[in-house]
Amino acid sequence: MADHQNHSDQTPPLIEARGVRKTYSFGAVPVEVLTGADLIVHPGEWVAVLGSSGSGKSTLLHLLGGLDRPDKNGGEILFDGQPISVSHGKRLDGYRNKDIGFVFQFYHLLPELSVFENAMLPGMVGNWMTNRSEARKSASKLLDSFGLSHRLAHRPGQLSGGERQRVAIARALVNSPRVLLADEPTGNLDAKTGEGILDLLAQRHANGLTLIMVTHDPAVAARATRVVKLANGCVVQSSPSE
Amino acid sequence: MCVAMVVTVVSVMTGFLDMLKNSGRQIVGDVIVSSGIAGLPYSDEFLVDLKGLKDVQGATPLIDTIGLLRMPYPRGNQKEVAHVQVWAVDPISLATVTDYANDLYWKPAENAAAALAMAEDDPRKNLSEKILTDGKTLIQSKTGNPGIALGIHVSIGNERQRDGSYRPRYGWFMPENDVTLTVVPVSSQGKIAEPREQIFPVVNEVQTGIYEVDHNRIYIPLKEGQRLLRLDEAPLYDLNAEPDAQGRYPVIGKTPARVTKILVRAKQGVSANSLRAQVETAYASFSKRINADLTRNAVMPDYVNVLTWEQQLRDLIAPVEKEREMMRVLFSLIYLVCAGLILSIFWSIVVEKTRDIGILRSVGASRLGVMWIFLRYGLVIGVLGSALGVLLAWLVVRNINAIHEAIGSDAPPTIWIGSFVLTGFFAIGLLYSIWRGKLLRILLWLLATLVMGLIATFLALHHGTLIWDPSVYYFTSVPDQVDWITAWTTAIGGVVFSVIGAAIPASKAADIDPVEALRYG
Ligand SMILES: Nc1ncnc2c1ncn2[C@@H]1O[C@H](COP(=O)(O)OP(=O)(O)OP(=O)(O)O)[C@@H](O)[C@H]1O
Ligand SMILES: [Mg+2]
Repeated sequence: MADHQNHSDQTPPLIEARGVRKTYSFGAVPVEVLTGADLIVHPGEWVAVLGSSGSGKSTLLHLLGGLDRPDKNGGEILFDGQPISVSHGKRLDGYRNKDIGFVFQFYHLLPELSVFENAMLPGMVGNWMTNRSEARKSASKLLDSFGLSHRLAHRPGQLSGGERQRVAIARALVNSPRVLLADEPTGNLDAKTGEGILDLLAQRHANGLTLIMVTHDPAVAARATRVVKLANGCVVQSSPSE
Repeated sequence: MCVAMVVTVVSVMTGFLDMLKNSGRQIVGDVIVSSGIAGLPYSDEFLVDLKGLKDVQGATPLIDTIGLLRMPYPRGNQKEVAHVQVWAVDPISLATVTDYANDLYWKPAENAAAALAMAEDDPRKNLSEKILTDGKTLIQSKTGNPGIALGIHVSIGNERQRDGSYRPRYGWFMPENDVTLTVVPVSSQGKIAEPREQIFPVVNEVQTGIYEVDHNRIYIPLKEGQRLLRLDEAPLYDLNAEPDAQGRYPVIGKTPARVTKILVRAKQGVSANSLRAQVETAYASFSKRINADLTRNAVMPDYVNVLTWEQQLRDLIAPVEKEREMMRVLFSLIYLVCAGLILSIFWSIVVEKTRDIGILRSVGASRLGVMWIFLRYGLVIGVLGSALGVLLAWLVVRNINAIHEAIGSDAPPTIWIGSFVLTGFFAIGLLYSIWRGKLLRILLWLLATLVMGLIATFLALHHGTLIWDPSVYYFTSVPDQVDWITAWTTAIGGVVFSVIGAAIPASKAADIDPVEALRYG
C-alpha cells in the first residue's frame, strides 16, 4: 500500500497520511469511511485523488487539511514530518492558515464580504496584529492574475461559478501555502470553465506549488502528475500519469 | 432600552427618596428631642448646653400642636376653617436648624435677572424686602404684631403654575389677610382646657416642597404659642398657705415656660445617629443637674424621645423605600428578560452564521478569534445600548417634570391634528401600495396608518391625567436627579449581560468543527 515513487524517494515527504481511519457515527450506526488510508506526497507533486462518489475523497482531503480529525488511534497526518494532530488549537489554526490552502467543492465564500475581502481573509484572520498590507498586496496580485481585478468590490453572489472558484483559489493561495488542497475544483463547472481553472492550477504547479486534488473525473485527474484511487476506505492504487 | 427603563424608574424612586430624606432633614433638622404634652421646661438652658456640643450647628425650641385656622375667605356662607399643624417657633434659631428662611415663598426677586425671568403677573414682582423680613421674624412690621406664616397649600389662595410659581386665586393674596387660630391647651394632667383663639396677620407663606407639610403646617412665634397653650411662664402659688381676701394664694415663685420639641442640626459631615447619641447624653446630664437643683420650681421629665430625623419620619420614608425596592426587583426581572433576549438573538445569529464560522475556521481563524467576533458584537451592543439607555434615562429624568406636565395636560390641537394629517398621508400610502400590489408594503403601510390613527385618536381624546398627584406623593414636583449609582450598575450590568449573552453562543460557535460547520446550509 505504500506509494513507492519513482519521484524523489530521497526528498522527504511534504504531507503524509499514515493509516488514517475515519468513522462517522450517525446515531447508532457507525459508517467507516476511511479504514486505513496511506498517502505520501512529496514537494512539487500534483496528486489527483480519484474515487467514486461517497468513497471518502472529501473526507480524506479534510483530514489532510486539518479541518477534521481522524478517529482515535486512527493514524495521523504529518506535515513536514510533524504530526499536525498532536495538538489542536493554535497549531492547527496556523496549519490551516499558513501551511495549506483549501479549495472547497462549493467555494464557501463569505457572502457579506466583497471578492477582495474574501480573497484576503486568511491574511486577516491569521495575524490580526501584523499589518494587513501584505495580505492586501498578495490578494490583489492573485485576483489580478486570475482576471478578476475589475470585480474586487462585488459580492460573491454576483459572480459566476467559475469566477467564484477563482476567488476561492485566490483565497487559498493568499498566504502562500506550500500545499493546495482542492476538492473537486471543477466539479460544478462546465468543461470549458473547468479547463480554465485547471490551467490556472497547472500554472501554479509549474511555479512549484504542491497540489492535491480530489476528483471523480479521470479526465481531470489526467492533468495531475500522479493519480491515486480511493476504494473501500483505502488508497488502493497509484499510477504516475506522466 | 432596558437599561433606560431601569435607570429611569429607579432614579425617580431614589430621587424621590433622597428628596424626601433631604427635605425631611431640611424640615426637622437632624435630631428631634420631644417630650410629652407637659413639655420641657428650661429649654433655654438646655439649648445653651446643646449649642456647646461640638457637633451641633444649631438648635431650636418649638411647640408642636394641632389647631384650627379660620380663613378670611368663605366656604358656603361661613368662613373656611382648616385643620392645621401648629408650630410655635423661634424663627431666628429655626432658620439655623431647618431651611425655614429659604422656604419663605413670598420674597422679591434676588436680582434683576431673576425679576426679568418672572412672569408679568407674578405677584413677587411687586414685593418689597419687608415681607421677607416679616416672615423671618414672624412679626408684622407695619403694626409690630406677631404674625403667622402658612404652608403654601394651607389656603386655597395659591394656585400653582406650570413653572412652579404661584398666583393668588380669586384675589386671595394671603399676606394681606388676617386669620384666626384656635388651639386647645392641655394641662400637664392631660385635661383639656378652654380653647383659645387669636387673630394673626399672615406675614408670609412657606414652601418646603413636601406636600404634607405645605398643606398642613403653620408657624407662629414661640411666645404666642406658649401663651395660647398655657405653656408660658406662670406664677407659682403656695396652695398650703392661707388665701388672701380675694381668695388668692401667695405667689412663691414662677414655673418656667415650656416647649414640646427641640430640633437639633448637626454640623456638616456629622451623622444624625452620632448626634443623637450626643444629644441623649447631654439631656441625661442636663436633667440630672436641674433635678438636683432644689431651687427649681419644675423638674425635667426623666424620659424624652430623642430621634433622628429618619426615625421621626419613618412612616413617610419606609413605604417609599419599599416601593423603590419593589420597583427595582420588578425592573431587574425585565432586565433579565432583556438579557435572555440578547442571548437568544445571538444564539440565532450564531446558528445562522454557522457555515460562515466554518469558513473562517477553515482558513485558520482560531477559536478565540471566532469568539472575539461575537464578543465584540456583544460588547458593542452592550456599550452602545447602555450608553443610549443611560442617555435616554438622563434625558427623561431631567425633563420628567416637563414630560409629566405634557401628559398631565391636554395635547395641543396642532399636535393631534398633525397626527391626523399624518395618518391621512399614511392612508394615501396604503392606497398607493394596494394599487401597486406589493404585499409587504401594504402590510407596513397598514400598520403605520393604524398606529398613527390610534396615536392621533388618543391625543385628541386625551385630557390629561396627573400621574404625580402632589397629594399622593409628598412633593410638589417630580424628582429629576439621575441616580448615578443605579445608572452605572445598570449600565455596566447591561454590558456584562450582553457580553455574557454573546459569549455563550460565541463559545458554541468556536467549538464547532469546521467541517461540521461547513455542512450547514
Ligand atoms: N458528517 C458525516 N456524518 C455521517 N456521514 C458522513 C459525514 N460526512 C461524510 N459522511 C459519509 O461519508 C461518506 C464519504 O463522504 P465524502 O464526502 O468523503 O465522499 P466523497 O468521496 O467526497 O463523495 P463525492 O464525490 O460525492 O463528494 C459518504 O457516504 C457520506 O455519507
Ligand atoms: Mg466530496
